[in-house]
Amino acid sequence: MEFSFTSEQLMFKEQVIRFARKEIAPRSSEHDLRGEFDFQSFQKLGGFGILGLHFPESLGGGGADVVTTALAGEALGEAGVDGGLTLAYGAHTFLCADTIFCHGTDAQRERFIPKLASGEWIGCMGMTEPGAGSDVASITTRAEKRGDRFVLNGNKMLITNGPIADVAVVYAKTEKDLKHAGMSAFIVEKGTPGFSAGKSLIKMGVRSSHTSELIFEDCEIPAENLIGQEGAGFFMAMQTVEWDRSALLAPFIGGMTYILKKCVDYARQRVQFGRPIGEFQAIKHKLADIKIFIEAARSLCYRIAWCKDQGRPLNHLEAAVAKLFVGDWSLAPANDAVVLFGGYGYCHEYEVERYFRDSRLAPIGGGTSEIQKRIISKLMQWA
Amino acid sequence: MNFDLGEKELSLVAKIKDLFGPDSRDYAVRGESRDLQQTRDSLLQWMKRLAQAGYLDLGLRDGKNSVPLVATRESLAAVAPSLFLSVEVSTRLFGRLISVYGTSEQKADLLPAIREGRLIGAVGLSEAGMNIEGPLETLALSTGSDFLVSGSKGHVVNAPIADWIAVAGKAEDRLAFFLLRADSEGLSIGPRLSTPGYDGVAISPLSLQDCPISSGGCLGPFEDDEPLRKARSWEDEILTAASLGLMRSALDSAAEHARAHKSGGKPIIAYQEVAFKLAEMLTLFQTAQLLAYRAAWMAETGNQEAELLGHCAKVFCAESAEEITSASMQVLGQHGYQRGHPAEEGFRNAKYLQIAGTSTEISRVKIGDSVLGRT
Repeated sequence: MEFSFTSEQLMFKEQVIRFARKEIAPRSSEHDLRGEFDFQSFQKLGGFGILGLHFPESLGGGGADVVTTALAGEALGEAGVDGGLTLAYGAHTFLCADTIFCHGTDAQRERFIPKLASGEWIGCMGMTEPGAGSDVASITTRAEKRGDRFVLNGNKMLITNGPIADVAVVYAKTEKDLKHAGMSAFIVEKGTPGFSAGKSLIKMGVRSSHTSELIFEDCEIPAENLIGQEGAGFFMAMQTVEWDRSALLAPFIGGMTYILKKCVDYARQRVQFGRPIGEFQAIKHKLADIKIFIEAARSLCYRIAWCKDQGRPLNHLEAAVAKLFVGDWSLAPANDAVVLFGGYGYCHEYEVERYFRDSRLAPIGGGTSEIQKRIISKLMQWA
Repeated sequence: MNFDLGEKELSLVAKIKDLFGPDSRDYAVRGESRDLQQTRDSLLQWMKRLAQAGYLDLGLRDGKNSVPLVATRESLAAVAPSLFLSVEVSTRLFGRLISVYGTSEQKADLLPAIREGRLIGAVGLSEAGMNIEGPLETLALSTGSDFLVSGSKGHVVNAPIADWIAVAGKAEDRLAFFLLRADSEGLSIGPRLSTPGYDGVAISPLSLQDCPISSGGCLGPFEDDEPLRKARSWEDEILTAASLGLMRSALDSAAEHARAHKSGGKPIIAYQEVAFKLAEMLTLFQTAQLLAYRAAWMAETGNQEAELLGHCAKVFCAESAEEITSASMQVLGQHGYQRGHPAEEGFRNAKYLQIAGTSTEISRVKIGDSVLGRT
């Protein structure tokens, strides 16, 4: 076992932190408060190379490995970038673009990846439906083949980047009577007749990301927009969740590091009963718990990234353990940070309030904690 | 970066597993009989076997933690928790003090017997009735070339069965470890304490009253307290690995039971109340394991945050051990509530891990100080 990063990886992380601190983080608060997507920052992420970091250079990417990609995500959080923007980045790069990259044809890759990697186009992924969340195989959106076209009908719900996306990877049933084996994935472009997005939902956290319904009403797409084979959609979705549970977890961990720094600064300067509150054991206890969480979560996150770099096909157990830990065990330290700031922690200006709201998504998005427990226990059942 | 255990680790783990058969619980059972001679004989017998497997040598010379050491410790702590604690204190607490801080004569006298499992060692660190942060009150008065040592220690693992005991104290206001034979003049070893867990471990208080020690009979005196800090970190490493062992054993027992035991015509692991508990246990265990391994790797590679990570690992592993052993009992139901079942033994053992060494409270204070830049 060996836990070191290469010097190049660490240098790159520092570069991302410096870039994000200067160019992105100062705009985070304002966009979170307004509940507005920060198009300018998103473009800058593309310009810096983050949106396509792990894609090959020939497709406009950076050719980075998964560990480096996760480090970039951690760096964004550590720089103070809000969870809304990092979520939008995750949905765009991993849930949408990566699915096209991994399973699409050369023509699909060449058409979509360069524009998604640069940020010229924004991507989203449509899986969840009003009646199908954790039970993904119960989706009812239909894709019916008519000659050289597919016709999509149905609704998707809670889709990150939905209202602003240029490209959507959409899962639909091509065999309505089959469950998992009946699911297929398609590319649907903005402006396609019959495809529309609903109003942006007002959320508790990750407010600078836009989330909405996607509506498909006799939406006709060319047959070449099918990704991979018919019936392979569930497998693709399962491969995607490993990103959900590695690179997409990294910004949460980086964000907790950012919040720990804020807490330390506050504990040093805030004086009560004649001394800085950092001198009280109760405050040190909270700081310690935040630090322990960060260190515990970090290894889990990079373990999956490393497994992916080794080319191990599916790492469900490792991925579910990481997701469950970050999801459920991050709530207490995030709460500690708010409490440490007292009344100020309840106000937006001190940022811990935003992190608290943003982190509440961790046990819900990308597969709920209950689903992770289900995966883990199923694997234990047959161990 | 590499998250797989290497061949070295796997081979050591396999060697330890091979040593233990159905009699592996004998040690705790014999310890529970409270017959000190029986406990001592049993410990020596197992230490010889462990020596032959190469276990006692690990990290003895350099005093460094490492991933292979943690992995191997975890496997022993899982099958024989009491034996593990006694062996570790003898070898990697007492033995390391000699190996790292001893003179060449002391090493020549004691190390071969430690490495071969022929000698039981103990170490008195904390003062009786005093927390870990307090100053040492065990004092040595100089009588020219020798010392007369007086003081008391409250809770010393292996003390009633040890051949040698190293006692931390001050000589001329400087830290020293006084090396005492069990039958040394002026040394009184108190009665074996009755504890709720670690049945097979013989623990007792000590008192020293004008105990004569030659200047060659101590480690030090040292220029600073670094050897004491080192000894405490070694103790914490032992307790962290002990936590991993308890977690592994408790999780394995619970999972095995949940797969085999049926209710309503199906194994109880098929019910979410049980299945999800097991998932949480596995998540905590794997997280704790990775944290402990990373802390060990940082110590091995001389990372500047190694001490901080060591404290993080101690807190997380010890608290997770209590949580997992408790959940294991819950899954096992009445089966785990019977005296002698590994689950109830683990449940009773777990509390010790948060109290012993650097307590979780003091560890958190140290972590807090570290992130505040106060250390």
